[in-house]
Amino acid sequence: MNMPEKLIASDTVNTTCCYCGVGCGVTAAVADNQVVAVAGNTDHPANKGRLCIKGSSLHETQSSPDRLLTPMLHGKAVSWDTALDYGASKFREIIEQHGPDAVAFYLSGQLLTEDYYVANKLMKGFIGTANIDTNSRLCMASAVVAHKRAFGSDAVPGCYEDLEQTDLLILVGSNTAYAHPVVYQRIAKAKEERPEMKIVVLDPRRTATCEIADIHLPLRPGSDAYFFNGLLSYLADTNALDREFIAAHTNGFEEALAVAQGQVPDVTAAAHLCQLDRNDVVRVYQLFAGNEKVVTVFSQGINQSSSGVDKGNALINCHLATGKIGKVGAAPFSITGQPNAMGGREVGGLANQLAAHMGYDNSDDINRVESFWQAPNMARKEGLKAVDMFRAIDEGKIKAVWIMATNPAVTMPEAGRIRDALQKCELVMVSDCIGNTDTAKLADVVLPATTWSEKHGTVTNSERCISLQKGFLNAPGQARHDWQIMCDFAAKLGFSEHFDYPHQVDIFREHAALSGLDNNHSRGFNISALADIKREDYESFTPIRWPVTTGSPKGTDRLFGNGQFYTPDGRARFIPIQARLPVHEPTAEQVILNTGRIRDQWHTMSRTGTAAKLLGHVDEPYIDIHPHDIERFGLLEGDLAVLANQGQRYFGRVKAARSQRPGEVFVPMHWNGKYAASSCADALVNAVVDPICGQPEFKHSPVRINPFKQAWNGFLVCAEDIQPHCEYWAKITLDGGYKFRLADGEFPATWSDWIKNQFPLIGDWVDVHDSHDQFYRAAGFSDGRLQVVFSAATDKVSAREMRWLEQQLGEEIDSNTRFAILAGIPGAGVEDVGAIVCSCYQVGQNTIAKAIKGGCTSVEALGAKLKCGTNCGSCIPELKALMR
Amino acid sequence: MVQQGWLVWCGERYEVAGVTGKKKKLLIVGNGMAAGRLLDELIKRDVSGFEVTVIGDERQGSYNRIMLSPVLAGETDVPAIIGKPSSWYRDRGIRFVSGVQVKAVERERKCVLTSEGNRLRYDHLILAVGSRPAKIPAENQQLNNIYSFRTLRDVDRLLNVARFHDRQSRKTDTDALVIGGGLLGLEAAYGLALKGLRVTLVHRSGWLLNRQLDKTAGGYLQRVLEEKNIRFILNDEVARFSGSHELKSAELKSGQSLSCKLCVIATGITPNKELGLAAGLKGARGVAVNPYMATSDEDISAIGECVEFKGETFGLVEPIWQQCITLAERLCNNIKLPFENTPVPTKLKVSGVNLFSAGDFITTDEHRELVYRDDKAGIYRKLLLRDNRIVGAVLFGDARDGQDYFTMLSEKKDVSKIAPFLLMGRAFYQDSDQQQDSDGAVAA
Repeated sequence: MNMPEKLIASDTVNTTCCYCGVGCGVTAAVADNQVVAVAGNTDHPANKGRLCIKGSSLHETQSSPDRLLTPMLHGKAVSWDTALDYGASKFREIIEQHGPDAVAFYLSGQLLTEDYYVANKLMKGFIGTANIDTNSRLCMASAVVAHKRAFGSDAVPGCYEDLEQTDLLILVGSNTAYAHPVVYQRIAKAKEERPEMKIVVLDPRRTATCEIADIHLPLRPGSDAYFFNGLLSYLADTNALDREFIAAHTNGFEEALAVAQGQVPDVTAAAHLCQLDRNDVVRVYQLFAGNEKVVTVFSQGINQSSSGVDKGNALINCHLATGKIGKVGAAPFSITGQPNAMGGREVGGLANQLAAHMGYDNSDDINRVESFWQAPNMARKEGLKAVDMFRAIDEGKIKAVWIMATNPAVTMPEAGRIRDALQKCELVMVSDCIGNTDTAKLADVVLPATTWSEKHGTVTNSERCISLQKGFLNAPGQARHDWQIMCDFAAKLGFSEHFDYPHQVDIFREHAALSGLDNNHSRGFNISALADIKREDYESFTPIRWPVTTGSPKGTDRLFGNGQFYTPDGRARFIPIQARLPVHEPTAEQVILNTGRIRDQWHTMSRTGTAAKLLGHVDEPYIDIHPHDIERFGLLEGDLAVLANQGQRYFGRVKAARSQRPGEVFVPMHWNGKYAASSCADALVNAVVDPICGQPEFKHSPVRINPFKQAWNGFLVCAEDIQPHCEYWAKITLDGGYKFRLADGEFPATWSDWIKNQFPLIGDWVDVHDSHDQFYRAAGFSDGRLQVVFSAATDKVSAREMRWLEQQLGEEIDSNTRFAILAGIPGAGVEDVGAIVCSCYQVGQNTIAKAIKGGCTSVEALGAKLKCGTNCGSCIPELKALMR
Repeated sequence: MVQQGWLVWCGERYEVAGVTGKKKKLLIVGNGMAAGRLLDELIKRDVSGFEVTVIGDERQGSYNRIMLSPVLAGETDVPAIIGKPSSWYRDRGIRFVSGVQVKAVERERKCVLTSEGNRLRYDHLILAVGSRPAKIPAENQQLNNIYSFRTLRDVDRLLNVARFHDRQSRKTDTDALVIGGGLLGLEAAYGLALKGLRVTLVHRSGWLLNRQLDKTAGGYLQRVLEEKNIRFILNDEVARFSGSHELKSAELKSGQSLSCKLCVIATGITPNKELGLAAGLKGARGVAVNPYMATSDEDISAIGECVEFKGETFGLVEPIWQQCITLAERLCNNIKLPFENTPVPTKLKVSGVNLFSAGDFITTDEHRELVYRDDKAGIYRKLLLRDNRIVGAVLFGDARDGQDYFTMLSEKKDVSKIAPFLLMGRAFYQDSDQQQDSDGAVAA
């Protein structure tokens, strides 16, 4: 990828992207304390110059209007001292009265390793409780435990090159095209160069990733472990096992095989249990058996399950049974969701971990960490995992919680109940860069934290690669780094001596030293060779894959190649898996709700939601549903439907999707109270968790679905961010303001009052009124500049949106153009580009369709003509789909 | 002011080669706009079979009465509005008798009796005697400086008063009082205001142009005219005028008294039906005609403001133009083209005031009402629909699309699909019409 010209012209810095677990290196051009452009870092092993649309928009999401600039206490701006004194005295009071288990930290995979380390140390060593958990619980906990059970340590065996160099790549519950776009691009390129490389996707949905798949297996949701048990039986039956490897390097094979055979004896049983075509299953099993180089990538599709750990082990069993591990192009490969979920796991910032791959199951570990930290109040048992933690808050057992860099009021299962719990909680502290997330709104104390480009420290990606996420901009207002905030807080609790870090590098060195302490190859995570890293080396940190030890100072690309694992006897463990289906079966009236990411948004949209470009691809919460179900439930494509479970409702627009299996719907997980009235997917998710790791079953919630009986619908385009008084609204960020799609089951007294009351400062209105109330339109102006456009109608056709209209926001409008504003169209001669497909170049579907009609029959031809798909390439699957 | 009548004969050129037999005497009484237009229509066709005479009580040739307001306002002058000077008649071999009134029609003798006691014979008589200003019931209307606003002579006198008006002496409440907030009254008030007079307009109804506009549009209009220095008193009437010879003041029914120097009464018109009805022609509000403009006497036709057709009388030019065509077709070509009284849009000739009204203008329960309002720009548009068809349009501030609405109204076009875009104007609903026809685009 060529670097944009302007990047060369100004100061550039190398850093790491703040989004997904791919962990791409980013080169940022800086001028006037602003990032003016970004490009992929060609030297970074994760992306080698590539960036996805989210990453390449990093400079467009820097300035949120909601950026928090000062500490807030009960809604009022206060000094840092006041805010932290309040929090610390409450913590102290609660701990004195109720013990340390009455307080909790809830962290995030967005924190840097140094932040994580300080939080973990403060909580477990000084406050004295292991009630510290993280949103990584929601994405990675199953993989962590599966790794530990099989390898004795939470370590991903391979690296990204393996995904390119393998001969068979199986993607299990992983839509890399959307969730890990750069990894997807690397795979797609490898496949292009070596078409003989086979790609198999196991996913109930036909996702965008399937565009490059040779075989897609749309298996029954949650039946993955049956599939891999069946594979294990098949491998045994067909003499495809690596008997030598099993004998030399593993334990427990026979028992695991017996259980697998007992449950899924053959291909027929597997096909039946997974609701798959038998021939397809045979083909995939044959491919697995017949190829030395096999990589099985797995992620949230199996992790977010009530039996996620077992699914991971069922899959790993197959790799162990065939010795397909630790070699080039052969490994089970967990791909993680967040930029630093791995860093959190390394630090041990979870309730059931201790620190640096040490655990609560080992009292030597506890003593070792205690003495290393000189901890006065060492927590000696596991704390509460996320779901239990918020339950304890709800039940009043936990009375103070500090939430950092995450938004559990949106993302936790039963998110509605989480809100209630936080509302009741005696002290809620939130550190975030955004001041009005759904969670921050419920907090007593909100602390302004630095964000990407300001904060400085290390992150680890899915392939164990540690990189520096560099701070190179001054923090705005009074924003501070999370570790600094916690160190100050620790000082107010009387622990200043142990939290007196002059710089991030001091924390990193301590962390590195702990990782090597009495390690002797007993723990995977070991970066002891970096324990004395020089400040200047830290500041220009070269990405490196751990372990980094004196024996392997350049890092380690692959683990277990020597057959040595981190178990006490050095042997990998087969885990006998009794596969289970999801806990809740749907009734006849229900559909199965599946949740996940979309291409251009990140988590709860606090950052990505501020860029118009990133809302161009999908701008509204939706429901992917099979056409048969559309008919079955009396829905209409393009209309709103309502999903309901546990008293919560998710509004989404019905999208006919043959990619869905009948009876199953998919909704994006991102929308929340800042972007929609009631479209928080996780609020509908039952708080069912994996009994071992505590990870919730986000991918399988039986819910009701009904058409939304709207009295009227419409849209509102305005310069100011508001919360429309409407049963349904979805906010879409524009370049100069916001657009809201609206719908309501009831009419307001008058539309005119409805809109004008919400903009009391605007006096210059023009409107069109219909006495039959079939439609209403209004536009409001300040100093002749367009501030508001509102269009309502009882039918679906009248309130038609036009990009042209949105572009007029903030413009000076002459009296003639005021007619056009109300019409919503510029008059004759202006083409509407349609829904944006290529976000980078803002190329719309209509334009593309026209070009295809005009003879552009390949992605390359489209790119040459319209530039679409030539930057980040994320839209290429869709371009292909449009050409079919 | 009384002028001697005069005659024009152009005998030689009147005889057209090849025509034999005696020409029919076609006598047109009245020389207003209807008569002028009828002459045009006749000449366009073939009048060789007729010997045409026009007799009118005004001394000028036919002029465009509609343009009196711009003349008063000084926006144009008298010569510019005279469509047919005497030479016009001469050049076309038409006998033109001006400044002469017809006193009676003697049907049995087939002649008319003039104010000078002459008798003129006819084979076919056309009454185009127009209308006169409506009377108001106020007392003392005989005082000087109380005028109507109907003829060039009225305008002459008003201009005279305005010319000698002393702008320094402001002892009165108002310089000029205009009675009537209809089209004519507003135009008179506007013209006088432009001349620098302080004008107060008294109107009996609750809003201006209450025969063409709804209350909202009337309010917008009032606001614009107030900016042009016209003061309005609504829901009131003049009870009596006072003064010795000259008008000094007017007392309103509400009890309010306004001192003034000049008054224009423009409360509407009364058809000049008397000439026809006295001759025994049928009619009530005017001289009754059938769809071919024939009166109850087959040798007498009638057109214009003196006419009554299906109970309606006429004050605007468009239907009268149609009447002229119908009559000319019948007389020249013996073609029976029935006259239809279609709705006519209203326009007001006040610069800077754009208004348009056609069809229904008061919203009732039977209408679907679509309204566009832009208070800042002073734009108001209202369309009244019945069964998805436009049956009325009221536009104020921007009347550009009036004609288009009027066409849709006349053609009874189904507008249900384009309703949301209608009020924004042609550029938008045509666009939307096409788009929806072609792709049926759906929101979102």
